[in-house]
Amino acid sequence: MLQGRNIVEGWRSLLVHGLLALLFLILIGRYYYLMIVLHEKYAEKATANHIRAVPVLASRGVIYDRAGNLIVDNAPSYTISVIPIEVKKKPESLERLSSVMEISVEEINRRIVKNRRGSFAPAKVFSRVPFEKISHLQEHRLELIGVTYSIEPIRNYVSELDLSHALGYTREINRDDLNRFNKDSDYQPGDQVGWKGLEKFHESVLHGQRGFRYVEVNALGQEIGEVQDRAPINPIPGHDLVLSIDSYIQHTVEKALADSSGSVVILNHKTGEILAYASRPGYNLEMLSGRISSKDWEALIQDPRKPLYDRGIQGLYPAGSTLKPLAALYSLENHSNAKERTYVCRGSYRLGNRSFGCWKKVGHGKMNLHDAIQQSCNVYFFNLIQDIGIEDWAHIARDFGFGQRANIDIPGENKGLVPDTKYMNRKYGQNKWTRGNLLNIVVGQGDVLVTPLQLAQFAGMLAQRGTQFQPHFVNKVVSKNGDVIQVNISQPNDRVTASKDSWDFVHQSMWDVVNGKKGTAKAARQKDWDIYGKTGTAQNPHGEDHAWFIGFSLDERYPYSWAVLLENGGGGGGKAAPLIGKVLRNIAKRPS
Amino acid sequence: MNIKSYIIVKLKELEWSTLILVVLLSVSGLTAIYSIEAQHESSSDYFFRQSIWTVVGIGLFLTAYFIPRKVLHNFTYPAYGFGILLLLVPILMKSSGAVSRWIMFGSIGIQPSEFMKIFLLLAHAKYFADHKRKLSNIKEIMTPVAMTLGPTILVLAQPDLGTALTYFGILIVIIFWAGIKPLHFFLLLAPILSMLASFQTLSFFIWMGVIIVILYFNHLPFWTKTLNFIINVGLGGITNLLWALLKPYQQQRILSMIDSDSDPLGAGYQVSQSLTAFGSGGPFGKGLGEGTQTHLKFLPEQHTDFIMTVIGEEFGFVGVMVVITLFYLLIAKLITQAYNSKFRFDSVILIGITSIYIFHVFVNLGMIVGIMPVTGIPLPFISYGGSFMITSMILAGLSANMSSVRRAVG
Repeated sequence: MLQGRNIVEGWRSLLVHGLLALLFLILIGRYYYLMIVLHEKYAEKATANHIRAVPVLASRGVIYDRAGNLIVDNAPSYTISVIPIEVKKKPESLERLSSVMEISVEEINRRIVKNRRGSFAPAKVFSRVPFEKISHLQEHRLELIGVTYSIEPIRNYVSELDLSHALGYTREINRDDLNRFNKDSDYQPGDQVGWKGLEKFHESVLHGQRGFRYVEVNALGQEIGEVQDRAPINPIPGHDLVLSIDSYIQHTVEKALADSSGSVVILNHKTGEILAYASRPGYNLEMLSGRISSKDWEALIQDPRKPLYDRGIQGLYPAGSTLKPLAALYSLENHSNAKERTYVCRGSYRLGNRSFGCWKKVGHGKMNLHDAIQQSCNVYFFNLIQDIGIEDWAHIARDFGFGQRANIDIPGENKGLVPDTKYMNRKYGQNKWTRGNLLNIVVGQGDVLVTPLQLAQFAGMLAQRGTQFQPHFVNKVVSKNGDVIQVNISQPNDRVTASKDSWDFVHQSMWDVVNGKKGTAKAARQKDWDIYGKTGTAQNPHGEDHAWFIGFSLDERYPYSWAVLLENGGGGGGKAAPLIGKVLRNIAKRPS
Repeated sequence: MNIKSYIIVKLKELEWSTLILVVLLSVSGLTAIYSIEAQHESSSDYFFRQSIWTVVGIGLFLTAYFIPRKVLHNFTYPAYGFGILLLLVPILMKSSGAVSRWIMFGSIGIQPSEFMKIFLLLAHAKYFADHKRKLSNIKEIMTPVAMTLGPTILVLAQPDLGTALTYFGILIVIIFWAGIKPLHFFLLLAPILSMLASFQTLSFFIWMGVIIVILYFNHLPFWTKTLNFIINVGLGGITNLLWALLKPYQQQRILSMIDSDSDPLGAGYQVSQSLTAFGSGGPFGKGLGEGTQTHLKFLPEQHTDFIMTVIGEEFGFVGVMVVITLFYLLIAKLITQAYNSKFRFDSVILIGITSIYIFHVFVNLGMIVGIMPVTGIPLPFISYGGSFMITSMILAGLSANMSSVRRAVG
């Protein structure tokens, strides 16, 4: 070793050593803090960085008729989505997509904004895309960077039945519903949600719960593959609905209705099950499910026949003479001489200086209660109501379910209207209304408003002598593996009590409406079973009168009650009764 | 003395520990590059290239080790001139506005600014050795400053702030080592620190206080003191004022002008991803090839400046500590050798190499964990890149040469 003085002072060497040690201690401290102290925080962040949960849609519950025949199931449909960040980098993609889909770039951008779930997640822009378009896109995929398509299930209407209003449709969830639902559910923008009818009412049952699969993504948001050590959460499919609808009866009703506007409701009065439900005109469910073009939507809204309007539960009509059994039953129960009292019908009833006409201009002559029901004499009931009064009449009407919702399991029901003193005072002013208004009410005109469903329920209660069974569409909710989740059995509810004698009398009168020589509904008569009924004509200030026919069968094989409404159908006996006659004949001919 | 006996004596004197440390560090880097590449489908050949560079580098290590001191001594200034010429090449070849750092030989690019570090170092050593300068006179530092300014300006034109700062780092450490008086050293560094301190009011006032105290307790002519103080206050004030007058985007433009690597948004993203990689690595890491941050392209530049993130994520705190320890052993040994050296030439070269290593290691390891600004400073022996690998190896070889030559020649 060479000896000699060092050329550098010791302190300079120490200082450099010290500087080195200091800098390295800073580094070690920093790495320790980052990798040991903050380890957990960053471990989570790293996971969130590269693992993405991809939702897997739950298949929506399907819908069966009462016999287990499919009415609605799901079919695959192509959906086109774009990845916002990628089309932002390549705007040509959107132009290409716009020309293929024949929709403006602005509209596509609007949909991206609406369905956006982040820059890297695909935002849905087209649903129910025809396969030709998809293959077209596939050919041009190199010019369509950032455009992806996927298959997702949509509603498929398997049966030929036109149950549009009862079934309702699904639609893409909107922001409001998203906010409302999302407290306790897992909806996301772009999801389908029941929008009308059973689809809406039973949304929570049909919807199911989405699942997730976990994929690894890189910094560009591209999927690398499935994550191995994280099991996917399988979607829970929605439950299926088994309806009370009887496809055979429904089909028969639809055939009989053909192109008429109106509504038919047939229910089993021993159970409350709705067997057939029609509101005409209906609409094309396939067109409304998913995304409907604004042109088609405008056309539907503007259609003067109002196809979107569910006449069965929303249509408010004067009940016409179908309500006469109400007053009759009241009289039988409260007037000792009900069956014997007679009034003479000369075609009209004079009240002060006003004249109230009977439908039979020449008059029915001397009438008793039975004949007045059978022949639907207005003048008889004009006289009778004077002895009843509006309060008692309103009371019994409400007992039969008028003026209130039937609480059926589809949304949108109207309450109808049963006028009472309070209502009349409010509408016309204290004591400003007259007995004339009362006359209108007893024959189901003027202020009285009912829905076809209410009248069918009324017919059912007449058949069951005052006992009501809550009408319903869904008999059972069944899980995908066949477990019965819920059974709907309506409990009997004795809402109107009257003596057997009174019921017998009403039944006999209604039997005579169909079967008597002078009955107004002879067209509903059946060969080997008894039909009971009552016709009605609802005056329509806007055009020809609406025709009503309500009735029931007490035959053990056919415990059915119904209401038929034909808009602008004229007299009830004329068109509504033959329609149900035809339907009932077909029911009797049903192949076993 | 014939060549054979020279080589035998040199081989006997070779400090294997330096070579072993260097090889271990290179192997760490190759492991990280291998891990990145094994996960990528695209057939990049980083690992292959870096392996070649490592082997070439070890060869150059030995070459640098065997070069006789005399030869080094004689060729120092021509080498410096050659380095300056090399730096001029990219500027003269400048096409379409962008200045490249590279001189291309086919598919292989070299960065003359890396090799310039060696030439600059040698030039400093020769200057201080030849004239036995002890920097008792402040004027003596003018030559080293000028020697540094030349390449610095050329490198800033690229623009490459990181390398320019390295050149100045070398200068500062060398003049300190060469014996500059503490007060001179302080007065020299003070204006730079004043400018930096001016960005924050409190630090600026504290710093001014420090200057006043130091000036007060030293024997300098009153006017020198006053002038010095005014210069410091003025520089700080002007820097601050000018900077504040700029709009944010202008400040941004200047930042990226000084350093093309500085892209704060990108840098912020990189650092945040880098922190996640280190943090999620934890004490023992995720295992070789298991790092999700690095392999899923969350980190750009991962094989060059951010190479340690791979080691951090896959080998954890333990892996990082191993690398840091290797660097510490290498550098601390250099300082000791520089101190023990009996020749100014050797000593200055050794401390210059020390300064290059410290600067690169601290800035690189600091920036990837967010305690230093992001500038393009690679990590010696570990970051991918041929020019820097070769430079680092030659420096290591030189350091071994300088610490052994005392016996071989003496």
